[in-house]
Amino acid sequence: MSTIAPQFRLSRFIASLFDLIFWVLLIFSLVGLPIVFIILFYIKLPVINGQFMTPYLALTWIADPSRTLPIVKAFIHTTIFKVVVFPGFGFAAILAAATIFIERKFLAKIQLRVGPLYCGKIEGILQLMGDGFKLMSKEIIIPAKADKPIFWMGPLLFVGAAGAFVSLIPVAPGWVVANPNVGLLAVFAVIGFFPIIAVLTAWAANSKWTFIGGLRALHQMVAFEIPLILSLLGVVILSGSLNLSHIVESQQHFWWITFVPIGAIVFFITIFAELERVPFDLPEAESEIVAGWLTEFSGMMYGLIQLGTYLKLYAFAGLFVVLFLGGWNGPMVWPPFPQDIITHGITIGPVTAKFPGLPLFDQEMLNGTLWFVIKTVGVILLILLPRGVFPRVRMDIALHTGWYKLIGLAFINIFIALGLLYAGVLGPGGLLQ
Amino acid sequence: MVDSVFLALSVITIGSAIVALEVRSLIYGSIALMITLSGVAGFFLLLDAPFVAMFQLSVYVGSIAVLILFTVMLVRRELIFNKVEDKRRRYAGIGLMLALMLGIGTIIIGSGLKTMDTNSPMVDYKKIGEDFLTYYSPALIVMGLILASSITGAMTLARREDVMDDQRAN
Repeated sequence: MSTIAPQFRLSRFIASLFDLIFWVLLIFSLVGLPIVFIILFYIKLPVINGQFMTPYLALTWIADPSRTLPIVKAFIHTTIFKVVVFPGFGFAAILAAATIFIERKFLAKIQLRVGPLYCGKIEGILQLMGDGFKLMSKEIIIPAKADKPIFWMGPLLFVGAAGAFVSLIPVAPGWVVANPNVGLLAVFAVIGFFPIIAVLTAWAANSKWTFIGGLRALHQMVAFEIPLILSLLGVVILSGSLNLSHIVESQQHFWWITFVPIGAIVFFITIFAELERVPFDLPEAESEIVAGWLTEFSGMMYGLIQLGTYLKLYAFAGLFVVLFLGGWNGPMVWPPFPQDIITHGITIGPVTAKFPGLPLFDQEMLNGTLWFVIKTVGVILLILLPRGVFPRVRMDIALHTGWYKLIGLAFINIFIALGLLYAGVLGPGGLLQ
Repeated sequence: MVDSVFLALSVITIGSAIVALEVRSLIYGSIALMITLSGVAGFFLLLDAPFVAMFQLSVYVGSIAVLILFTVMLVRRELIFNKVEDKRRRYAGIGLMLALMLGIGTIIIGSGLKTMDTNSPMVDYKKIGEDFLTYYSPALIVMGLILASSITGAMTLARREDVMDDQRAN
C-alpha cells in the first residue's frame, strides 16, 4: 500500500472515475454542445460527400471508425499535422527525448557504469519522464540584477530557432515542413542565430560565469560557422541544387560521402563545435565555469534550453544524413499493405468490418522514414560517442582548428568537387547525370 | 494579404531602426538593429527574392550583428562613444533625412519605375550565376581580387609578431 494515500481503496477509485466520466458527459452535453452550436453558427460549414456538415454529423463520424479514417487521412496531409506531428516538432521531440535517455545509458556503458536504473523498473526507462516533471515543478529563479526581457526571451528564441532548423529537414519523399528552393541557405541563416542568442542571454544573466561562457560560445560558433558553410558547398556543386529534397533525390545511386569524404569529415567536426559538445564543450565547461552560459537558468527555462539543444542535435544529424548519407534512399524493405484489407475488409470470426481510407501512409513514405531514422540514429550515436572518450580541448586549439585547418580542408574539398565535375567523372557523360 | 504584410514589415523595420538610433542601452540598440536587418530580409522575401533574403539573414544578422555585439561587449562604452546631443543637431538630422528621401523619391518616381512589369516570373538564382560567369565575368574577377586582397590584409594585420612560433597552437 502506498504511503502517499493510506486510505486508498480500488473500488472507490473506480467509482470516482465513473463519477468523473458522468460529470464530463453532463457538462459537455449541457454546456459544451451549445457553445459548439453557437460557434458553428458563425462558421461556414463544408459539404462533404453531398451531406451538409452539421455538428451532429461531425460527432457521428468521429464515433464511427469506418467514417473517421478518411477524415484522419485528410488531416494527415494538412500543414498543421506536418508542423506539429510528423516531420515537424512531435517527431523531432520524440527522437530528441530518446536521445537524452540513450546518451545517459550509452555513456554509462562506455564507462562501465550502470546509468539510470530505478525509475520505471526496467533499466530506468522512466528516468526522462521523472526529470521532465522535476524541471516543470522547479521554481524559475531570475537573478536580481538580470536584464529580464532578454533573459526571458533567450530560451524561447533558442527553441524557436531549433524548431525552424528542424522544419527544413526532409524526412521522406514529400514529407517536409518547409521546402524552399534555397533550403541550404535557410539552414545557414538559422544557424547564424544561435551564437547571438547564446551571447545575449549570457550577457543578460549578469553573472561572470555566464558571460565567460557566452563569449566562448560566440568565438567558437563564429569560428566554426565558416568551415561549416564551405564544407557543404562541395555537395551543392555536385548536386547542382540548394533544395534539400533535390539533394536527397540526386543521391539515388551514390551517396555524396563517397565522392567528397573530406567535406563530410569537416562538417562532422563542425557539428560538435556548433552543438557545444565534447571535445568542444568550452561554452558550458562544467569543471571550469559552472555551466557556462546556462548557469543562471533554472526550472523549465533550463528545460527549454535542453529541448532546443537536442532538437538542434537531431537537426544536425538529419542534415548530415540528407547531404552525405542519401537521406531517405534505401532498399525497399517495408512490406506492402495487404490488398485483402483494402478490398474485403478485416474479418474476425463472423464479423467483417470494412475500413475505407486505408492505408493511411503509402509504402514509399514508410520505407523512406525507416531508412532516414536508422541513418539519423546512427549519426546521433556517433555524435554522442566522443563525450565518453575525449577530453576537452583548449580554447586556442579549438579556434586554431576552426580558422586554419578546417577552412583549408574545406577548400581542398571544394577543389575535389570541381575536379570531379570538370574531369567528367560526374555530371554529363559521367557516372551520374 | 501582401499589402498588410508589407505594412507590418515597414512599421517593424522603420520603428526598430528609430529605436536602434534613439535607445540608451547599446545592447538593446544592437537588438533593434538586428530586427531592422531581418525586416529588410522580409522585404526581399516579399519581392520574390529568397536567395537575397537568406543571404541578408546569414550575412547581416549572422555576421555583422555578431560583430557589433562583440564590439559592444568587449569595449567599455565610455571609450568608444562620446555622445554629443542637442536639439538643433537632432532637428537638422531629421531635416536632412527628409530632404534626402524627397530627392531620392522624386528621382525614383521620375525614372519610369511605374511602367515596370510587376508580374514577371521569379528570377532563378542559377540564371544569376550564369550571368555572373559570362557577361559580368570581369566584375566577378574584380570582386574576387578585392575580397582576396582584403582577406590577405586582415590575416597580415591579425598576425602577432610577439608570439614565438613554438607558442602557437598547432
